[in-house]
Amino acid sequence: MHEVSIIQNVIKIVIDKATENKFTKVNKVSLKIGELSAVMPESLNFAFKSCIMDTMLEGSTLEIEKVKAVAECSDCTQEFPIDHFNKLCPCCNKFSSSIISGYELYINTIEGD
Amino acid sequence: MSEIKVVTNILQTNDEITAKNKKILDEKGIYVINLMSSPGSGKTSLLERIIAKLKNDINIAVIEGDIYTTKDAQRIEAQGVPVIQINTGGACHLDAEMIKGALNSLSLDKVDLLVIENVGNLVCPAEFEIGEDIKISVLSTTEGNDKPLKYPLMFEKSGAIILNKLDLIEFTDFDKKEFYKDIKSLNANADTFETSCVKNQGIDEICSWLMSKMKNKKISIKN
Repeated sequence: MHEVSIIQNVIKIVIDKATENKFTKVNKVSLKIGELSAVMPESLNFAFKSCIMDTMLEGSTLEIEKVKAVAECSDCTQEFPIDHFNKLCPCCNKFSSSIISGYELYINTIEGD
Repeated sequence: MSEIKVVTNILQTNDEITAKNKKILDEKGIYVINLMSSPGSGKTSLLERIIAKLKNDINIAVIEGDIYTTKDAQRIEAQGVPVIQINTGGACHLDAEMIKGALNSLSLDKVDLLVIENVGNLVCPAEFEIGEDIKISVLSTTEGNDKPLKYPLMFEKSGAIILNKLDLIEFTDFDKKEFYKDIKSLNANADTFETSCVKNQGIDEICSWLMSKMKNKKISIKN
């Protein structure tokens, strides 16, 4: 359940950004989460609902966009989709540890008044 | 209502503190291991064997992460090396801020190797950088060879994977061939070791591998 720590970080960053932009209320928070990260959207939603109480995010919605996992082949430089269990270049059949996307954990946008 | 682009890493604070931890540790030339596994797979036992083997040649310090108790720290202390216990009080993983606090309490000047034993958990610790040079994950034969596929992130992010409790393998249905096939699909570049703490098996191999890793770090920092 490290989703609670992650949401606590989200709330802190959102409050900072919202205050900077003179928001008094946040209505929506959009996250981008890489599909290789070990973060469960259901747990994030649950943690979000619990942790936003009594903050300027109270009543806001959480939107989670999954980011596809992509690697680059060190031999032919081709980019190709991967998952945890298959990181072989479709051309060279070589294992790639050069992962371009899939581990993202970031806040993309916030909406507020 | 208006929308603003934030595009900020959620773990930004953790990553900033990680960078600070790493700077302190790099300046001292200390090689740092983040040792991870599920509870009871033998992290502390392995550490006891490694310390016993290396403590006359190098200076080792240990940070022990547990939810509660100082039981592991007491076992390491009995080996005669400095140890700091972190009790997370419920949190399922160590983060960079906790390590920063522990580094302040350790005398780092003469340390060559710092081992951070993470909270026993096959999921969450893998998500948090803490300032390590390498993540090492331990799996014991009694847990079953299916665990890397069921909990991929930790094995994927590890530079080395240790298969422990080899002495018990004959009492289990652990399939080594399947295990290595899965590890290769997840992380073809990881170094692998097989150990038994009871029989003191495989410890020499890990220790000489560690010594060369430490040496390489000291050389790369000098340059």
